[in-house]
Amino acid sequence: MSLISYISISLILFICGLVVILARKNIIGMLLGVELILNASALNFVTFTKYFNSNIDGHIFSLFIILVAAAEAAVGLAIVIRFFQVRESIHIDSATQLQS
Amino acid sequence: MFLKFLFYISAFLTVFGAISVVVTRNLIHSCVYLLFSLIGVAGLYLTLNAEFIAATQLVVYVGGIVVLLLFAIMLTGGSNLKVLVNKFGLESTPLMGNLKTYIFAALSGLVLAAVLIKILFSSLLKSSTVSNNFFTTVEDVGVKLLTDHILAFELSSVLLLGALVGAAIIARPQRSTEVEE
Amino acid sequence: MTYSIASILPIVLLPFFAFAVNSFIVKRFTTLSVILSCSAIFGSFLFAARIFGDFVFGKYNSDYYIHKTFTWFDISGGGLTFKVPMGIYIDNMAAIMLLMVTGVAFLIHLFSTFYMHDDKRYGRFFVYLSLFTSAMLGLVLSDNLLSVFIFWEIMGFCSYSLIGFYYEKEGAGNASIKAFMTTRVGDVFFLLGIVALWTTVGSVTFVDIYKAIATGGLKDSILIFGIGVPVATLAAFSIFMGTVGKSAQFPLQVWLPDAMFGPTPCSALIHAATMVAAGVYLSLRMFPLMELGGLLPIIAYVGGITALGAATIALVQTDIKAVLAFSTISQLGYMVLGIGVGAYNPAFMHLITHAVFKACLFLAAGSVIHSLHDHHTHTHVQEMPRMGGLRKKLPYTFLAMLFCTLAIAGVPLFSGFVSKDRILGDALVMASSSKLYWAPAVMGFIGAFLTPFYMFRMIFLTFFGEPRDKDLYEHAHHEHIQFNSNVPLLILSVFTFGVWFSGSLEGQGIVKVFPESKYEWFQVLVEKPELNKFIGRTSTAISEPESKEFIEHSHYDPNHGMSEEEAHHVHHLHHLGAIASIIIAFSGIFLAYLMYVAFKVNPGWWTNAFSGWTKALKNKYYFDNFYIDGLIKKLMLPFNNFLSWFDMGVYDRIAIDGWAKVNQWLYSVSRWFDNLIIDSVLVDGSGVSVRFFNIIMRTIQNGRIQFYFIVLIVVLVSYLLSFKPVI
Repeated sequence: MSLISYISISLILFICGLVVILARKNIIGMLLGVELILNASALNFVTFTKYFNSNIDGHIFSLFIILVAAAEAAVGLAIVIRFFQVRESIHIDSATQLQS
Repeated sequence: MFLKFLFYISAFLTVFGAISVVVTRNLIHSCVYLLFSLIGVAGLYLTLNAEFIAATQLVVYVGGIVVLLLFAIMLTGGSNLKVLVNKFGLESTPLMGNLKTYIFAALSGLVLAAVLIKILFSSLLKSSTVSNNFFTTVEDVGVKLLTDHILAFELSSVLLLGALVGAAIIARPQRSTEVEE
Repeated sequence: MTYSIASILPIVLLPFFAFAVNSFIVKRFTTLSVILSCSAIFGSFLFAARIFGDFVFGKYNSDYYIHKTFTWFDISGGGLTFKVPMGIYIDNMAAIMLLMVTGVAFLIHLFSTFYMHDDKRYGRFFVYLSLFTSAMLGLVLSDNLLSVFIFWEIMGFCSYSLIGFYYEKEGAGNASIKAFMTTRVGDVFFLLGIVALWTTVGSVTFVDIYKAIATGGLKDSILIFGIGVPVATLAAFSIFMGTVGKSAQFPLQVWLPDAMFGPTPCSALIHAATMVAAGVYLSLRMFPLMELGGLLPIIAYVGGITALGAATIALVQTDIKAVLAFSTISQLGYMVLGIGVGAYNPAFMHLITHAVFKACLFLAAGSVIHSLHDHHTHTHVQEMPRMGGLRKKLPYTFLAMLFCTLAIAGVPLFSGFVSKDRILGDALVMASSSKLYWAPAVMGFIGAFLTPFYMFRMIFLTFFGEPRDKDLYEHAHHEHIQFNSNVPLLILSVFTFGVWFSGSLEGQGIVKVFPESKYEWFQVLVEKPELNKFIGRTSTAISEPESKEFIEHSHYDPNHGMSEEEAHHVHHLHHLGAIASIIIAFSGIFLAYLMYVAFKVNPGWWTNAFSGWTKALKNKYYFDNFYIDGLIKKLMLPFNNFLSWFDMGVYDRIAIDGWAKVNQWLYSVSRWFDNLIIDSVLVDGSGVSVRFFNIIMRTIQNGRIQFYFIVLIVVLVSYLLSFKPVI
């Protein structure tokens, strides 16, 4: 119940999300990791409104995080679908056309 | 009491879900474990007296995004991944990452974790943390949204419109016989 | 009279102005330029006469002098002084010399209007004559060796131009170069002498040199090849070599006979009266230095050898001008002999008297030559074998020439006797006191026998007897009195009488013609410079007018400052010398008479008997052969070739072409440097290094999102770690 515990949960979520992004070769798998990270940060914000701040802005920001995550997930998945239609693969290494 | 209980269950759910997302080889299973993790986070919000957020999380994230992810997985053939056995007798699922990437990721995760732990705990342990009885209501959130953060609120509506339209356009099926202008 | 710039400098400046103007207008306005030249020299004569009058008739003191100086340039600085003053120094000797030079020059100018009248370069002759007279007058007036040298060289140039005046004649160009080069040899030594004096004494003004000699400034020696040579000897020898060159003494006498290629008036002025006298004048001025350097015996020997040698060569010459040329060399030898035996005054007197009668002789010879015009070759005849019996055709010329020949022969009552006899008398005195001077004295007396012989031989061959070339004789013009052909001759011949110079028969005040002590004016006024008198002498600036009043007149001392006993001994010897020279002179004349008028003695027998000797005389003792074939062809030419080989073959090739090779090598080095280091390393290398780093950096942007994410984490971690307050 203490601040530390919430922070540590948020940390675990963040790390797991990071590991998922780095370890998976699947684009959608990476998007799972992104969702985890976003959740970790939203959790952080809400935690800190309760423990440090009488300000309610933390809640507001969490709402916006959720909102943006939704929009981003929608557009990102649309792109992935389009990518799959073009490339016939969702391997991350087939998306390296921006290399120099 | 109830809060503590809720906290432990939610925490367990979150962590278990997150770790399972990392470890699972099956994409759909990892999606479901993500779902569990998000439900746990919602529970955590409840323990933090953020009822509105918890509800929004459940509705948007759990009911929307994860479903969307599942749809995308289905549409891109992510469920048909067969388990391959390579020459050393190790099983690996293509596109889910092999040992090398996990080790690499684990290392970087460890590094970042170490740094973050060091920072956080060294600063947090010094300062006193006070849990204040701060109760919020939906009414407060609504008032704040429409007074202090009205710009972000409106912009977010534009954003959502853009996302909607964009996603619809990007994911439209191809008509290959159409001549491009 | 006040001596200022306006009373002294016109002597030099008038002829120089005539020269400057004439050199531009001579082609267009020939007559005007001739008149300008002649009037310029006449103006100088008037100024010189004024000065002479003041010195001789006014002040009449042997110590009277005028010394005016100005600083030409002064580049002293930093503790060193280097000041070059120029100035005018007139004492009795200079005044007499001025009068003689201007007078003789004026009369020669007049004669030239007659002699050179038909020449196509008539005006140019006067240009050179004006330059020459201005230089000679400048030399007489100068007070220091440097300006003497300057005017000396100007005269050398004029001599060169005038000897080569008839440049169409085959030998004239060579003769002019020979004259210039031979005197050049002497001039180099002269310059060395000036430098030696300058470094020792610190100044080249005559007065300063006398002062230095008096106070012992020239006592030390310098080491040359390990031998200690006194500076005075070195300087005196070097300056005497200038005299040897300019006054055609042995061994540099070879140029004067060839100088007869020039026109006769030029020979008269330059090579008889003035320029060759300048050498003797220099030695006279530097007489104290010669005494101190102990050079007098050498001078006596040189003079004696010259006098005798030239006299012997003159015996066999057939060209009338050649006889006169060798006679000039011989008489110059007498002057130098006079200096050598310490006879300062007699040498100077001989200089003056010789100038007068030699100029007259040359002009008379010119008159003879001018009148003998060969219609076949259209030249004037100079060869005596073709002359004869011209006494009737050219009476006035004959008269003038006779007087001058009597003077040069040393016949009493004439000026030549006075001066030459005094020289021989002093030679006898020195010979009696030291054995060293026997040879010069003997040579002098033998020369005194030969001189009247060959001079009268010349007279008899030219004016007496039957004309040997009838055609020539017929066409010779009969002479009339004419202001520019006869009158100068007659005026000059008037001054060959002895009374003008000395009131006594032999210049010793023994037999007095006029019992007036003033008539030994020459002997009184011109004195050996007594050095102690110069210590206190001052000079004034040239811009200030100076008028000196000496009240006391000098008196003639018959004992010449010696004790009674010494004077008696000297007078006895002088007597002896006088009697001997009279006897010798008359016997010479008598021998010539016997040979060429009475035909009692056959000269042909003598030439056959001494045929080898005659041949040597005709070849001028093979001096020309020795110098040209021996010295120049065998020594100088190979040396010259060696030097030119060295210069072109070694020095040019190594220093200059070699330098080109060095430059080429340097160029190739710099090209290597440019190609390798600048082009390859810097220019290409910068491109290569950029590409290299590009290849390295390219891997960062590989398009893999997970890689970007790792980079992001790395940056984040490093930022967090570096953020000090947090850690």
